[in-house]
Amino acid sequence: MAFPKMADKVVETDVLVMGGGVGGCPAAAKAAEHGLNVTLVEKSKPERAGNCAPGMDEIGPFTRDGVTALDLVKHDKEGGQYLDPNVLYKIYDSSLWALEELERFGVTMRWDDGEYYWIPWFLGNDAKNWLRVHWLNAKPEMAAAVRKRGVNVLERTMVVDLLTDKDRVAGATTVNTRTGEFTVIKAKAVVIAAGKFLRHYDPVTPVTWKYKMAYEFFPEASSGDGHAVAYRAGADLTGMEMIRTSDVRDALVMRGGNFAHNDGIFGKVFTWKGEEVSRAPGGPLDYLELARKGMEPLYLSLEHLPDDFQKRIEAHYVDERFLGLKIAEERGFNPRTHRYQKRFTPSNRNHATGIDVDENLKGSLQGVYAIGDCAYSGGIGCAGAAIAGLVVGDNIHRYVSAAGEPALDEAQLESQKRIALAPLAVKDGTEPMELECAIRFICGEYAGMFRSEGRLREGLNRLGSLRREFLPGLMAKNPHYLMRCLEVRNIMDMAELHLQASLARKETRGEYVRLDCPERDPSLDTRRICQRTEKGKAVLESREVPELKPEYAREKK
Amino acid sequence: MSSTPVKIDYRRCNGCQRCYDLCPSDIYIWDEEIKMPRVAYIEECRFCGICWMECPKRAIDITYPAAFW
Repeated sequence: MAFPKMADKVVETDVLVMGGGVGGCPAAAKAAEHGLNVTLVEKSKPERAGNCAPGMDEIGPFTRDGVTALDLVKHDKEGGQYLDPNVLYKIYDSSLWALEELERFGVTMRWDDGEYYWIPWFLGNDAKNWLRVHWLNAKPEMAAAVRKRGVNVLERTMVVDLLTDKDRVAGATTVNTRTGEFTVIKAKAVVIAAGKFLRHYDPVTPVTWKYKMAYEFFPEASSGDGHAVAYRAGADLTGMEMIRTSDVRDALVMRGGNFAHNDGIFGKVFTWKGEEVSRAPGGPLDYLELARKGMEPLYLSLEHLPDDFQKRIEAHYVDERFLGLKIAEERGFNPRTHRYQKRFTPSNRNHATGIDVDENLKGSLQGVYAIGDCAYSGGIGCAGAAIAGLVVGDNIHRYVSAAGEPALDEAQLESQKRIALAPLAVKDGTEPMELECAIRFICGEYAGMFRSEGRLREGLNRLGSLRREFLPGLMAKNPHYLMRCLEVRNIMDMAELHLQASLARKETRGEYVRLDCPERDPSLDTRRICQRTEKGKAVLESREVPELKPEYAREKK
Repeated sequence: MSSTPVKIDYRRCNGCQRCYDLCPSDIYIWDEEIKMPRVAYIEECRFCGICWMECPKRAIDITYPAAFW
């Protein structure tokens, strides 16, 4: 066979896990426990990779204290999302099992006194079904579980594209982001756990100058790599029009998780004149209305909270963003006396956008599974990712044992290698960050929080010309920049899908705003927008959201 | 205020490679000559603080640049 000659290295494995974050690690460790040969590919290093790399302060929700999986599914549906309720049910129903599994993997789940620290959440009752965790070292703990179980970990390695064998997945090609080594991974199944897609928008605090990666969460896990490779391989994506918002100016260090809701005590919102806003703005339109009345900036205040609670906020800082505490101190920012400026921007976690999956987290391309923020699965942030990862890891051996060896297609390998390494040969081309910023500008200007048909069409035209003129001329001075070039390729593809899906959803609901279609369209209550490629052509279609299965709809006692 | 937000104190650094090894944004490169890390891609730093909290010698300091002040 000629393909080993084409590759610097060839790896054969049962399961390839793409992404070593809080979803990928449990998935890899659990699959390995079932005796599978597992390879985990991570752009950085699983010890500190993904969106909870420096830590996490709270996870959930869990089914406890009178709250059932059905309650949680109903709650999520009210949020105006179009998630498959059966996938959600599966994730929530597995939450307590996942908690035990994570603990068995050596992940710290309990508080200092050896007990779980349950805190209330937004369900409108006093149920304590959210878990306050000291996750400062959760990632090193998860990575240790992965390595202990013999998973083959490829660090500093980026997936270029998936390999396919007719209608099934056959593995992936990768490049090392420090050496440029091109590796072919032949795999029976691929678990995509590559995080959300957000780099088509500027960070929370957009800076026109230097630090263009200062996102609230991790830019490496926000370039939509998982979305893009799945899409290009023919898998369905869903909900690409959606974005979630962040509402604090300083979200880079001062996270929602550091605020008051954790322990069931809420902050207050004030106008710049110090008048309390009776109803905190719940979404972009509320915010726009307050802005029109000249009431902004708005501020979130924690001043009224008792001293004991202020100390708890500091502990939150340490568990999720240790550096945040230091920076706040240096800037003289004291939550006891200062107010957080609110500012609505596209940002934050995005778990209602991504690879379409069924309740077993299987994508539409055979052998592909997707978990966490890159999957259209719901479940919230790290808890959703970890639970889904464990569910996949626990069941994937069934697929693998029935799946035969995939065949590798030499022409496919050759074309992927050409695409992967091309930027290294370009001289006097475009730097990846320049093109990425151009894409972000177009998305911000022509889509953003407040969309309309004309703007979206103009945005698509401009993106199209950028793609034609500049994508082929991307230049990488070294393998590090090669990674950025490949990220930009993914961002370009997914930004186009984002605009196309926004054109197709002609309504306003929740955080999704079309200024030219200000009403909610009830006929879209149960429909979602799916996008895929078919023989190289983009296909967009609206599909029915499945109903909750009757066996799930019955309340469990 | 200095305009360099990530500073390595080379008198303290013991060359353990933890920062180079763990930085999710890959902003460090390894300088074989001095056997110590260098910040090569500061514009890609997102101020997560991982190098700062992982450094066993407290040789790294991170401060906020003007852009985020």
